[in-house]
Amino acid sequence: MNSASRGRMPQVKIIAKNFMDMVASLPAMKLDKLYENAFICGAILRSLPPLAKKYVIQMLYIDVPITAKSMEEWVFPDGSSMHRVAIDRLIKLRIFTDTADRRRETTYRINPTFQTNLQKLLTLGEVLPREPMPSDITVRLPSLEDLEVYALEQWECFLLQLINSAQAERPSNISSSMMRILQRGLLSQREKGAPRLTESVFQFLLMDTNAQLWYIIREYISNSEERDVDPADLISFLLELSCHVTGKAYNSNTLTEIQKSWIKDLTDLGLVKLQQGMNESWFIPTKLATNLSVCLTDSSSRKQGFVVVETNFRLYAYSTSKLHCEILRLFSRIEYQLPNLIVGAITKESLYNAFENGIAAEQIITFLQQNSHPRVAERMPSIPENVTDQIRLWESDLNRVEMTPAHYYDEFPSRDVFEAACDYAREWNGLLWEDSKTMRLVVKAEIHMHMREHLRRQK
Amino acid sequence: MASAPSKLYADDVSVLVVLLDTNPFFWSSFAFPFSKFLSHFLSFLNSILVLNQLNQVVVIATGCNSCDYIYDSSMATSPSIESGRMPALCSDLLQKLEEFVTRDEHLGKQDSLGPTTSSLLSGSLSMALCYIQRIFRSGPLHPQPRILCLQGSSDGPEQYVAIMNAIFSAQRSMVPIDSCYIGSNNSAFLQQASYITGGVYQKPQQLDGLFQYLLTVFATDLHSRTFLQLPKSVGVDFRASCFCHKKTIDMGYICSVCLSIFCKHHKKCSTCGSVFGQAHADVASASNLKRKTPET
Repeated sequence: MNSASRGRMPQVKIIAKNFMDMVASLPAMKLDKLYENAFICGAILRSLPPLAKKYVIQMLYIDVPITAKSMEEWVFPDGSSMHRVAIDRLIKLRIFTDTADRRRETTYRINPTFQTNLQKLLTLGEVLPREPMPSDITVRLPSLEDLEVYALEQWECFLLQLINSAQAERPSNISSSMMRILQRGLLSQREKGAPRLTESVFQFLLMDTNAQLWYIIREYISNSEERDVDPADLISFLLELSCHVTGKAYNSNTLTEIQKSWIKDLTDLGLVKLQQGMNESWFIPTKLATNLSVCLTDSSSRKQGFVVVETNFRLYAYSTSKLHCEILRLFSRIEYQLPNLIVGAITKESLYNAFENGIAAEQIITFLQQNSHPRVAERMPSIPENVTDQIRLWESDLNRVEMTPAHYYDEFPSRDVFEAACDYAREWNGLLWEDSKTMRLVVKAEIHMHMREHLRRQK
Repeated sequence: MASAPSKLYADDVSVLVVLLDTNPFFWSSFAFPFSKFLSHFLSFLNSILVLNQLNQVVVIATGCNSCDYIYDSSMATSPSIESGRMPALCSDLLQKLEEFVTRDEHLGKQDSLGPTTSSLLSGSLSMALCYIQRIFRSGPLHPQPRILCLQGSSDGPEQYVAIMNAIFSAQRSMVPIDSCYIGSNNSAFLQQASYITGGVYQKPQQLDGLFQYLLTVFATDLHSRTFLQLPKSVGVDFRASCFCHKKTIDMGYICSVCLSIFCKHHKKCSTCGSVFGQAHADVASASNLKRKTPET
């Protein structure tokens, strides 16, 4: 076993990059066009790091360029790294433009379009991308709770389908070609037979919903070019969508044809709910959509936990979700399932299975902690210590044995030859084991050739 | 180790409790009109809410005779443009403010003691702290609260004890009190409040640029304050008010038992009831005697 890759912290191949990183990578012209919408300016402002927000707000009513030097004086010396991050982000997003003046000093100036729009936003209050429909037309609007349930259901259904589970009962409308694109990187396609899950898929499943959503949306955007769609348009539409109010109905007629097709895809992901009235149809953004532009750290979308782990390694999960069952199956043995309860056990075999699949002990423990049932979440620690220790021990068990290809030598003619051979192996830093009594030694495979030369010369 | 559950709130999510001075005696005699002040103030509230979706703003009006909550963004209806093309925040707040001012004026008329010219800062500070305590108790993870006093009227020395108690309780619960004092002289109470709790005290020089002052200084979240240079206080007026006549004094008498402050010599402490010695000379010798007796 290769200890180098096992011993380190789990390598997370799937990094949920921020949506705003994608926005920042847009060409300058597209960015400037984005800033023509006041609500997008607001969403972008919200996604900035705290210090960058502060700078924008501070510069909002300053019309003259500010020198970089004087801005540096705003922060304490130990905050200078944060300052650089903030400025860098602002310039990448073209919110600040830098110019060198006559005395070769760098000065910053706030993007005028962004500035006027944000000023308007602050003085006139929140601006909405489109007006919600009056409530007398949209009668059967779902309640916010129903909508959240709907969103999570759709999302789970999508995830189940993504991992090709037989449990997905309701096929979503996502075309199989699209699905294959989204699965790229998560599943490894084999010559024949069903695609195998790669280790990244497990890491993906153990992430929280927001992070998963990021990953999928990023894939969705990055392959938009293959579908002859300008990624900039898609990004701006997603940003626009995130500025809508959760649970309000918006007329579908306000969308362009291509936007309508996106809305359909997003419905399958649970970002919006479509409803059909007498004459009109409308879409209702769910929390998943409105959380798109929020930074990843504040996961207000976090659901209540459901897992209770006992000191005897039994695991009770109060959940009706098939997805949860699938996730738990990744590292535990599911024993039986009641209508609202999944009972399983964490066993050595089930964990070895998980480790084989590339899931790290820390990931499992973090998942259990993040999803612990409110009753046990109050307790410190929420997962019994003997269980977490044992999970870590079992993982390190796998790393205990290190394999090195080697060669074995014996039947030396004399003790002198044996001693010389040992010294020679030591010189090459390849001596693994020696027994002077019976005159046997083991050396690393890579110095075998040198060793043979050496022994031949001795003869 | 990465096992700690990830934080529920980003670093810069804050709850801002604003204490808004609505004292009519102050505003009627002040050069800067209240309406102009309000427009700066409303834009400031808007910017706080725009900075982070999870930010929360609570406004408490401080009148002469009463104080009350007039706006809470967590209870506000979802932003929608009203028929009058006025944002929901403004119309809500203005309506509540108007109701409050009328009620406060009515209370003043009933009062037989005659009008007081200072605002009830102690009351609104206590209300703000109660609200913040409720946030603290809402769970192990909560946004970071801070208080901003927008004060114009002069200090009411009769509230000294109540205000100091509120300041110390804010200090204990690590809630910074920022103060933006727009009146003509400095406010000793607010200077002390900000000094003790680690907040910022500022007296804007140009009231036309009030909005810029508010954004630059008072919109800074607690997380960013560790990196940013904010105005430091030049000098703090630490003078106390005496408990007997509520006068601000430089020098006075202090009860050795409960630390109550008096401007003249009393026979008995009005707060804790301890009996003081008769005369100054006698007190000194008596205390010396007392101290010596146990040793002999």
